[in-house]
Amino acid sequence: MAVDRSGPPPPGEVRPFRFPGFTRRRLASGLTVFAARLPEVPLVSLELVATAGGQFDPPGQPGLATLAASLLDEGTAAQSSMEIAVHIERLGGYLATGADWDVGYLSTGLLSRHHAAGLALLAEVMSSPTFPEWELERLRRQRLAELVRRDHDPSALADERLTQVIYEGTVYAHSLLGTRESVEQLTRDQIVAFYGRHYTLAGTTLIAVGDLDPESFAAEVEAAFGSAPGVPAPALPAIHPRRAGQNGGGRTVHVIDRPGAAQAELRLGHPGVERSHPDYIPLLVMNTLLGGKFTSRINLNLRERHGYTYGASSRFVTRQGPGPFLVGAAVATESTGAAAREVLAELRRIREELVEPAELAETRTYLTGVFPYTAQTIDDIAKRLETLAVFELPDDYFDGYLDRLNAVTREQVREVAERHLDPECIAVVAVGPAEDLARQLEDLGPVEIKSRTAVAAPAVAV
Amino acid sequence: MSSPTPVDLALERHTLANGLRVVLHRDRRLPLVAINLWYHVGSKNERPGRTGFAHLFEHMLFQGSQNVGTNEHFRYLQQVGGVANGSTWYDRTNYYATLPAHHLDLGLWLESDRMGFLLPAITSENLENQRFVVMNERRQRVDNQPYGRAGERLYELLYPADHPYHWPVIGYMEDIAAATLEEVRDFFRTYYVPNNAVLTLAGDLEPAAALRRIEDWFGEIPRGPEVPPVTAPLPPLGGERRDVLPDDVRLPRVYFGFRAPAYGEPLWYAADLLAAVLAGGKSSLFYRDLVYQRQIAQDIGAYVGPSEAAATFTVISSARPGADIEVLETAISEHLEQVALAPLPEAELERARNKVLTDFYGALQKLDDRADLLSQATTFFDDPGLVAREAERYWQVTAQDVMDYAAAYLAPSERVRVAVVPRDPEAAPGPAALSEGVAVTESAR
Repeated sequence: MAVDRSGPPPPGEVRPFRFPGFTRRRLASGLTVFAARLPEVPLVSLELVATAGGQFDPPGQPGLATLAASLLDEGTAAQSSMEIAVHIERLGGYLATGADWDVGYLSTGLLSRHHAAGLALLAEVMSSPTFPEWELERLRRQRLAELVRRDHDPSALADERLTQVIYEGTVYAHSLLGTRESVEQLTRDQIVAFYGRHYTLAGTTLIAVGDLDPESFAAEVEAAFGSAPGVPAPALPAIHPRRAGQNGGGRTVHVIDRPGAAQAELRLGHPGVERSHPDYIPLLVMNTLLGGKFTSRINLNLRERHGYTYGASSRFVTRQGPGPFLVGAAVATESTGAAAREVLAELRRIREELVEPAELAETRTYLTGVFPYTAQTIDDIAKRLETLAVFELPDDYFDGYLDRLNAVTREQVREVAERHLDPECIAVVAVGPAEDLARQLEDLGPVEIKSRTAVAAPAVAV
Repeated sequence: MSSPTPVDLALERHTLANGLRVVLHRDRRLPLVAINLWYHVGSKNERPGRTGFAHLFEHMLFQGSQNVGTNEHFRYLQQVGGVANGSTWYDRTNYYATLPAHHLDLGLWLESDRMGFLLPAITSENLENQRFVVMNERRQRVDNQPYGRAGERLYELLYPADHPYHWPVIGYMEDIAAATLEEVRDFFRTYYVPNNAVLTLAGDLEPAAALRRIEDWFGEIPRGPEVPPVTAPLPPLGGERRDVLPDDVRLPRVYFGFRAPAYGEPLWYAADLLAAVLAGGKSSLFYRDLVYQRQIAQDIGAYVGPSEAAATFTVISSARPGADIEVLETAISEHLEQVALAPLPEAELERARNKVLTDFYGALQKLDDRADLLSQATTFFDDPGLVAREAERYWQVTAQDVMDYAAAYLAPSERVRVAVVPRDPEAAPGPAALSEGVAVTESAR
């Protein structure tokens, strides 16, 4: 049959997508359990999510949450660190612990026929970690080395400096890993105290996805974790960043010297909004159009129109508190000033002009069409359930999600851009040859130049 | 555990009259279809002085074709929720898109338009723009990346100058600058022909109907000339090669490169299993000894890739601040020498096999990854069914096979070592860090 190649062929019949079914239960201990059955491959993912993120780092103790999390699986009442690793890895699985800004987590993934062993191990690590001194010192040395390495990673340095500038005076200002100074000083007592306050079953959610039966699974969880009621979870801290404009500033430029660099790492950013903000859905649509996909305005401008970069993007980072809005790209050094000005022009344009109806329509259809793609794997579904847990969203959230996206109008896009983007009070960060970059960026705002070591060891934030 | 049962993949394989090989895999769990097209051409088909060409060409394939405007390719796909990209490697170039299943025709239209009708879109304007994009890609991935040059230096030393794995896939900057429009056209005519490609569709499809649509869109594209074969003679290294690269880094890092048999050979699986034994997980041999116990390494990894002419076994490890990189090197060498001398404990092999199996099931979860594996097996071995039995290959590997591999390939005389060291001696961590980083002897408990 001859085909008509002159334009895109019409679509066939739509088969709708439904987010997989799952159960949510709260046990007597206070532990909340999400379970979803995905039997396609013989794997399970089990994850404990605790009220124990970096936002709870006490003043003067940056890095405590992540250090406590990484020490969790380094020894229990029954097994040493290496015994735990041997035990889980012999089964072809892994055990991982860590913390982001919102939560601490312990997760394991393994063949489903071993899921009982995985669950027992999670319960053991959650309930009886011993925080051995030797392991603490080992992780401390490893982390100090990590911080040393990061000093010379231009992309990490750019992120780090932006965060320091826009969150000055708040807990978000430091890296999740802490500073060299804080990591040297954190003590085992502080870690034990943090664990006691934050790894309580009442503030924890277990997310189980894979080849398992949600009904019988709940009983297994009850048996593994017990039903004694735990202490309540701590309340979330209040995080109030000051916008650059409120500091009496306006736009500011921060250059980090990296002599002889082959390229410049460019970031622009300011504090954004918390995930629970009522503007979240229109903001997601607005940002996708602006810099959240390949065919977004910022990428087409910087990459396809100008060839300044291999790729540029923007995003609102979702956190329980007000995470950052940021734009990032690695650009040819000589194009850094031009690239920053193009980004600012795009921010102004989306605040001032209504987007084209077709542009909005294709952004909505993009987000709609891509949704099943992002719900393919066990880990994808676990991530979505974690979103429900961490941001306290209802069970039917993903059923109505696409309808809410598709209801966003051009006027709303402009409104939320106007409200939440601030090109005149944004921080501009560039890492590369300082003299050259400062000259290119000086008309955007007052320029401050730092050496790499000055970024790595900032004054301790309160 | 006994050898795993093969995965049940519903497969059909066809060949069109023009030589295009087609693999159809039906899985209706999600309303998605993955379209995955492999061209059997990569940096292996380039020549010295013209490196990076296959990759630059891949960029040109997103710049439109006779019926698709510049920048329209991604736009058509993204506006229906498609996720698409392409990648270039030594042996092949792939193009892939996962779309809502009712847009299958859209994907086939785009893919067939650039296979059959690309030339009108090859303009100097598009080439110049993509040349700058690729130069920035090289800076971002290699030149401005800490340790970025080490990988390509390792291959330069491990493969002789006339071997096609000698040069990096992304190419050298001066070669990217030199590529001409006429070369782009020639490359297309030589390699982007249906008889040099494999098209895999995976997902929510009716095989018979899908095959008809593929015939409709691709059937009229004429078969091209046979693709010139690549010869890759590879004499033994016959003596260790070493190099030191000063770089803007803080922690020194050592790269070891060895050769391995081509992907698909029994000893390739022995090499890959060995990599998992050595560095797959916290309880692995290398991690446990060098990172956990002695703490002379910050990290360590071992890798073998599925390449066609020969494979490369790579070990990469960063030294702890203050730790002597030569101590680290010696420790790694001693472990590797042991592999040839004594069989690995069965428990170590079993742990590695179980990890391989978990990773394998993990990789099968995404339609686009599954489609890519099917295209790979068909391109290299003309048999998509091999994917279902891939995990079994690791159960056939014995402790003796691993020793045989090590004896034949891991000798110091067949080794390349590249060390990346701080360019600025001031940047090296001082003696205080040195006393902290070494001589840790307490037990783990």
